[in-house]
Parts: sequence; structure tokens; C-alpha cells
Amino acid sequence: MARDFMGVGLGLRRAHLEALAQRRDHGVPFWETCPENLIGDGGRQHRHACAILERDPVLTHGLAISLGGFDPWDEDYLKELDRFLVRMGTPWHSEHLCFTSVAGSSLHELLPLPFTREAVRHTVQRTRELQARLPVPLILENITYYAELGQPEMDEGAFITEVLEGAEVGWLLDENNVYVNSLNFGFDPRRWLESMPLHRVHQLHIAGHQKFGALTVDTHGAAVIDPVIELMQWVLTRIGRPVPVLLERDNHVPELDELLAERDRIQDAYDAVLALPVRS
Amino acid sequence: MAGPRLLELQRTLADLILEGEDAADPERLAARHGLEGADQEAIRRASQGLLSYRELARLSLLEPIADMFPVTLALLDAAGARAECLDAFLQARRVNSPHYRDIAPAFLGWLVETGWGQATWPFLSELAHFELLEVLVARYPDGPAGAALRRQPLDADGLVLDPATRLVAYGHAVHRATEEAPIPRAESTYLLAFRDARGDCQVLELSDATAALLSQAATRPIAEVARELGLQDLEATRALLTDLRERGALAGFRSLN
Repeated sequence: MARDFMGVGLGLRRAHLEALAQRRDHGVPFWETCPENLIGDGGRQHRHACAILERDPVLTHGLAISLGGFDPWDEDYLKELDRFLVRMGTPWHSEHLCFTSVAGSSLHELLPLPFTREAVRHTVQRTRELQARLPVPLILENITYYAELGQPEMDEGAFITEVLEGAEVGWLLDENNVYVNSLNFGFDPRRWLESMPLHRVHQLHIAGHQKFGALTVDTHGAAVIDPVIELMQWVLTRIGRPVPVLLERDNHVPELDELLAERDRIQDAYDAVLALPVRS
Repeated sequence: MAGPRLLELQRTLADLILEGEDAADPERLAARHGLEGADQEAIRRASQGLLSYRELARLSLLEPIADMFPVTLALLDAAGARAECLDAFLQARRVNSPHYRDIAPAFLGWLVETGWGQATWPFLSELAHFELLEVLVARYPDGPAGAALRRQPLDADGLVLDPATRLVAYGHAVHRATEEAPIPRAESTYLLAFRDARGDCQVLELSDATAALLSQAATRPIAEVARELGLQDLEATRALLTDLRERGALAGFRSLN
């Protein structure tokens, strides 16, 4: 585990770039940034983002690589990504365990893979291919899903586990996604997590969600609720290591001080857990 | 099935997201993709959840268009044509880039290449282009500094536009269109869009002669072009060009030899 990456970081978003570029006393131990938003971009906001990322520790998190899809790799983009990851000095790079494009058409949504043996084999192969093209270890994030695509041959937990184990990669555990899935599909998130390969967790994501009718959606557009923070504490205790946690906020982004205060609240919860005896 | 089961399942969900309302039936799409009974049944059971992906992905794809093209969409709204236009765009599957910021340019590219709506609104693609122009200029990728350029023009020099600067010509005064009055007057319009010192996009309306000067004096001597265009006061022309350099529109001046 890279030494700099502990505590609760923040996703770097356009709304606060200018203020953060001029502010070193933000207290954020690291930032997470999406390469797709920076590669090939330019202008004032881009310069602010680069200034922050060159000054402070950074983790990278991809949004659009269709890991479980069938489209050929965008080799030009992957070359740019390679250079970007080296330049950022990130210890790992994360992508989502999903598909995002079909027949060259980018859908800009994290779409669920079917929980089938064929999907495991395909995604393991694609993950290995992608890992071979990256200069740092690849880790995969579990997504929220709102429907199973086709007749499942296993449950979500088994699917994630088989891909992570098969591809021999680390896990970016988005515990808000687990919580949201538990609401939509009616299961106990702690019991679900107990059966998962927590030794593979490199990083956590935490975020807010919102309910729309019968469906709870991972919007990243609200404050993190206490049960999700408590689940983070439960996970950290269970893991027994101080893995970095990243607070995601993409919609209804509050003023910077309010966002920093929310990060502080989660950092306090993180620190409180790390003061507890660690499981052997 | 035309392809592996996994691929056909993915095609089914992509079609569910991108096809028109009439085709957005998960079970029918599953059958169309040759999925077998168990998958068809599972998709029927999960219809509501799968349809939520239609809503979420379409929101994601259309949000940058709503943000970037408020006047164009106000025009379409006035004619009740917004949904038809955006449906046609999504069905054309022209969003091919992993960069979210490329969705709006993809929409503009689709408008220009297909000519959608041009018969009714001959200015439509110009209007959309102008709405995107500011962002394209503001976010133009920064490159390495070029060769040393002169800060003041000599008569025999050519001018060099800043790489982010765009000199555009429209047949309509699209820069004066607003959400309240989105139909621009037909008139030749020349605009210079450039980044100022702070990095914000500024847009200047140009006379025909100034537009021609900026276009032609990139490869021919400034004084020669000015004379041809009837710009008799060369000192005033030099002052104009120096001012444009100071404001950020021009990178500078270079010898053409």
C-alpha cells in the first residue's frame, strides 16, 4: 500500500478547481481524478487541475473504458492514458466492472454485465489485456445495478469474486454501491461483504444516493448518510488495514467549505475506527 | 443469435437505451437479438429495472446537449421538435468518444453531416456551432510554445493566430440569437473567438475587410493584403493587429521568408 494514500480523499471536480489551485490548507490527503476528463483537454480549468495534481497526491479512476464490452481497445487513448498515469504518479488505476459501449457507441453509463460464466471468462480476459497495457496495477470497482441482464448463473458477489480472482487484480470496493444494491435487491450488506475477498481491497469509495420511487440510485448528488459511514467503518475494521477512502460528489456539488466539512466528518469516522483494535 | 450470448445481451440493453420509444420493449428486443427462453424470461422480469437504464443513460447523454445548446433547443422547443431531434441523434449512435465533453461536438457533427432540420431552419447548424464555439475555444488543448514571434508587425510579416483562436463565417447573425428570440437574421457574419489573458473566451464581430485580413495575412504580407482590401491607413491596421495580439487573439507576427 502506498504510504501517502490513507485517510479520506476527494474527487477533483471542476466546480472547485480554481479555489483549490490557490489553496494548500485544504486538508485533503489525496485527490482522485478521471483521466477522461483531463486527457486532451485544455484551458484555464485544465491548468488549475494540472497544478493541483502536480502538487498533491493523486489516484486515477476511469469512467469510460468498456471493460466487459466487445469493442476493440482504443489504442490511441490507452497510449495517452499510459503517459497520464506515469505523469500523475498514481500507485494504481481503477476502472469499473461493467460495460459502457456497444458497437462503437459510447453510452456514458455504467451498464451491468450478466452474472454468467461466459461474462466472467470474457471480463477476466479483457482485464488481463488492459492490465498488460497499463504502467500501474489495475483495480476494479463494483457498480450499482438496477436489473440483472439476462438469466443469471451466479449471484453478484460470486461474479465479482470470480473476475477479481481470475484476473488477479485488486478491488476498489464502493461500499455505497453495495448499500444501494442492498436496498434495491433486499439483502444485508454486511453479510454480503463477509463472503467477499476483502483481502483484495485497495481502496474504498463512499458517496451519497437518492431514492426515486421504488429505486435507489447512486447519484453522488447528496451527503453521505450515517448507515453508509457506519458500513465504511465496519469494512475498515474487517479489513484491518488503513486503505484510502474516496468521497465522491458529482452532482449538486456544494460550496467548497461544505464539501471539505463533509470530508472531515468522514475522516473523523475513519480515524475513530483506526483507533480500535485491528482484527488479526 | 448473431454473436455470443454476452454480446447479444449487451446489444439488447444498448438498443433499449438508444432506440426510439416505440422500440423500447425489453422483451421484444431480446427476441430480436435471438436470446433464448430463459434470457427472454429474465429480461421480461427485469423490464422495469432495465428501462431505468434507458432513462439514466439518456439523461447522461443528453445533459451536455441541454447545457451547451440552450438557444438551439429553445428553437426546437418552440416548434415542438426537441424530442424528435434528440431521438434521431441518439438513434444515429454518433457518440463514439470516451470523453464526456465530446458528446456536444458529436451532436453538432451529426447536425452538420445529416442536415437534420436544415430544410426548416437553414441556420440550424450555424446556430449550434456558435453555441459550442465558446467552449471549444476556452478548452482548446494547450500546446508547447511555438517559435519566437514578433510582438509588433512589420509590413512584410504574416500574422499568426493563437492556436485556440477561431475565425468563423456564418450566413446568419447567430451571435445575436437568444432563447427568447432564437431565429437569427440572414446576414453575412464574421466572428473572431479567442481566449483572453484569464482564459475566458471573447467574441468579436468583424467587418468583412478585417475578417479577410486575418484570413489572408497568415500566409501573405500584412501590408500587401491590407492594400488589396482597401485598408489605406496601414498604421491603423498595424495598431489593430497589435491590439488583437495583446488581447490574446493573435500569437504574434513572423517573417514569411
